[in-house]
Amino acid sequence: MKDDLKYIGKTLPIHDVREKVTGQLRYVGDMMLHNMLYGKLLLSSISHGIIKEIDTSKAEALQGVIKVFTYKNSVDKKYNSYMWYKAMDTVKDEVLFTNRVRFMGDRIAAVVATSKEIAEEALTLIKVDYEELPFIDAEGALVEENIKIHPWGNIMSKREMENGRVDEALKKDLTIVEDTIETQKVHHAAMETHACVADSTPDGTITLWSPCQVAFQVQLIVSEALGIPTSKIRVIKTAMGGSFGGKGQPILEPICAYLSLNTGAPVRLEVSRAQAIIGTRTRNATKGRVRIAVDKEGMIVGRDIDVLVDGGAYHTNGDAVALAMGKKAFRLYRIKNQRYKSTTVYSNTPIGGACRGYGSPQIHAITEINIDNAARAIGMDPVELRLKNLVHPYDKDPLNGPDLGNGRVIDCLEKGKKAFNWEEKFNNRGQEGRFVTGVGVACGVHGNGYYGAHPDYMMMTLKVLEDGKILMLSGLHDLGCGTITTMKQIVGEVLKIHPDNIIIPEADTFYSPYDSAGTQASRVTFVCGGCAQETANLLKEKIYKYSAAILECTEDAIEMLEGVITNSEKPSDRISLSDLLSKVRYQFKREISVTNTYESKANPGVYTVNFVEVMIDKLTGMVKILDVLSVSDIGRAINPGFVEGQVHGAIQMGIGFALSEEIKLDAKGRVTTANFSKYHVINAPDMPKVKVILVEEGEEYGPFGAKSIGELATVAIAPAIINAINWALDINISSLPATPEKIIEALNKKAKQA
Amino acid sequence: MLLNMRVNGINYALDVNPRLRLLDVLREKLSLTGAKEGCGEGECGGCTIILDGLAVNSCLVLAHQAEGKEIITIEGLEKDGELDRLQQSFIDKGAVQCGYCTPGMLMSCKALLMKNPNPSNEEIKEAIEGNLCRCTGYIKIIDAVRAVADSKEGGN
Repeated sequence: MKDDLKYIGKTLPIHDVREKVTGQLRYVGDMMLHNMLYGKLLLSSISHGIIKEIDTSKAEALQGVIKVFTYKNSVDKKYNSYMWYKAMDTVKDEVLFTNRVRFMGDRIAAVVATSKEIAEEALTLIKVDYEELPFIDAEGALVEENIKIHPWGNIMSKREMENGRVDEALKKDLTIVEDTIETQKVHHAAMETHACVADSTPDGTITLWSPCQVAFQVQLIVSEALGIPTSKIRVIKTAMGGSFGGKGQPILEPICAYLSLNTGAPVRLEVSRAQAIIGTRTRNATKGRVRIAVDKEGMIVGRDIDVLVDGGAYHTNGDAVALAMGKKAFRLYRIKNQRYKSTTVYSNTPIGGACRGYGSPQIHAITEINIDNAARAIGMDPVELRLKNLVHPYDKDPLNGPDLGNGRVIDCLEKGKKAFNWEEKFNNRGQEGRFVTGVGVACGVHGNGYYGAHPDYMMMTLKVLEDGKILMLSGLHDLGCGTITTMKQIVGEVLKIHPDNIIIPEADTFYSPYDSAGTQASRVTFVCGGCAQETANLLKEKIYKYSAAILECTEDAIEMLEGVITNSEKPSDRISLSDLLSKVRYQFKREISVTNTYESKANPGVYTVNFVEVMIDKLTGMVKILDVLSVSDIGRAINPGFVEGQVHGAIQMGIGFALSEEIKLDAKGRVTTANFSKYHVINAPDMPKVKVILVEEGEEYGPFGAKSIGELATVAIAPAIINAINWALDINISSLPATPEKIIEALNKKAKQA
Repeated sequence: MLLNMRVNGINYALDVNPRLRLLDVLREKLSLTGAKEGCGEGECGGCTIILDGLAVNSCLVLAHQAEGKEIITIEGLEKDGELDRLQQSFIDKGAVQCGYCTPGMLMSCKALLMKNPNPSNEEIKEAIEGNLCRCTGYIKIIDAVRAVADSKEGGN
């Protein structure tokens, strides 16, 4: 690709880095408003039941307690926190506070007090009498007909999609490899737990400060849950201490707004780590049965996938995750006959939600472990088998979804194979002795926004300011990944102005032009960045037009560099952007500004391939990751340092998914891993070195050719690790995470069979 | 109780509830909100400060335990508007994403370099093993500490 670019492809620091390294950045939990009160939530201690009686009198009598809210004295309007636009058709089954407990973590009450210590003490004084009901897990939900978690039953949705004729394909004289693979519930583990601040005025106008992903969604959900018009709700996106999807759905915001409205004071509502693990959102657990048919040459002839998705206690996006999983299954390999079926159920377990990859890590765990088993079954190198079957650039989606675009997964695999020295490592397993080594590989696909599924457009205003800087007004949310800097680089490149001179406030529903979907679905770089590029081009046209008029030359003669506009035919004729604005205001009575609506025109695939080397202690079952190579087809890196950072973090998250992270429940559905000593996030000593290779071949509709990376980078690492373990030990781990116990069990089973 | 302590070079005499955690005293009484609460149980390291030269989780220290102590928080690293070299290295190496773990991470690394100006990579990893980060995979954080330790001025 052409390399005459000034700011694209450069590693610049994240825009607010100085405030971050000095501790000056104010997150919402650092906010203090005059007369601010403190809110705390009481979550249910049982997984399933009915509240017979709730007594809040002692809590209310505690000095410093302003009010206690339960289902008895709060609004009872159903909503679905997953909804981000009003026309969305979905099931509304949540309320602010419930009297019917559907999981350990359901919201029972909120206390508002003058200090957080008093609020916490008051929680202990609330007495709840439950009538307990049997705990229903996902498998139980499939068969339980008498006890219904929601009045309409325990099945949330069923989906089926198919191309070709799967049943016929699987009957042919082929090698059929069947696996049933389970993936667990995972906590996002953003270091900042959920929090927000709400303030209200006597006329009922609410202002909410929230580290959110979709400010307009927060506004909509508060409106839905409280039954007040959106025009009375202002949402301001604050600094975000990590989200990974966990803060995508508004959880605390409607409650916090309600507490403020009903106490007439500003309220800060925060949850503890335990409450964040139990009572916010989780990665949906899944159980997938997959049958793949391959011929002797390693061509995949057919595949049949049937997945059970554990939606948890409330609907949220359980069905959407199941759908997203299915779509991915058709966009990685050329499979002529394929069927994907899903059943999504309610269960008395923590609620599912968006989680980095949105079903992709789950479906790739299921299918990529199975592909390795197919390769083993026919005695073929799993890289070779993949190379024979992967999609090619500009392939069509067999389900008539958006075109795959310039999908370069084959390039990724070939480059990675060489860089990792795959063949030698694969063929030389160190199987002797206590410590064995092995390598694994997996591929993955993800998307770029909602084109083809939901409205995907963005409005943006760009204007020249008095001092010659450029202001962008838009509904952007930086989740800590560098979105703001990325947009500055795109606009800076178009206008040839240093990104430091572009000013970008984040989303504020009162001032930001509408954005249809926020920071979700890997759409920000591709769609919002596309909007930034197009809008900057429109602003540039306007600047050129006014400059030509004022410098009395043709627009073709205009050149602009770092805010200085020159008539290239007479270089002494020049004017700064700042002076240009003064003259335009005086002579033309106009601003130099444009407002543009950009609609996404595509949703190409992005691809990643991960190679992993592991060492396993056969005595203890402990796995050490020695080496990771991540190769991703991202079109073009706007900021290569950010891209690397995204990959590193995604690998950290994926290693946890593969080896150690799991929200565990006991037989009664109570969460037993509600802190970081029991919920094991990978720490620095366990983190391997990670090599990052980028394939940058450009994507037509992406800004400067760019596609997404942050979610993509976590979708293939877990199956690559499991494949490495299975290859090293010649076992078949099919349940994540691959804990030492499971590995020892598999080794014992293998020893018995031998 | 009256709590006497020295924070970032300033002597304080504060009237505090002795049951308060040092983290709360710093955040609420002194408005030093750089230290963050990520778990409240000493498992995440978000609240790390330096107390008499050692990196500690301020959520596990009660106010009275800070009596007479010398404390450095993230707000105390910058001197006269100039960043500490470790802070600058975090910027240069791209070691910061969401930034929530950053103050605690920096304090753990600073405490390490104060004691051991030339740590091995293993020692750096060990120094931050109690600091969780979900964004960076720790790689650029380790690079940032490494760069300071390897610089000609050394780690201290």
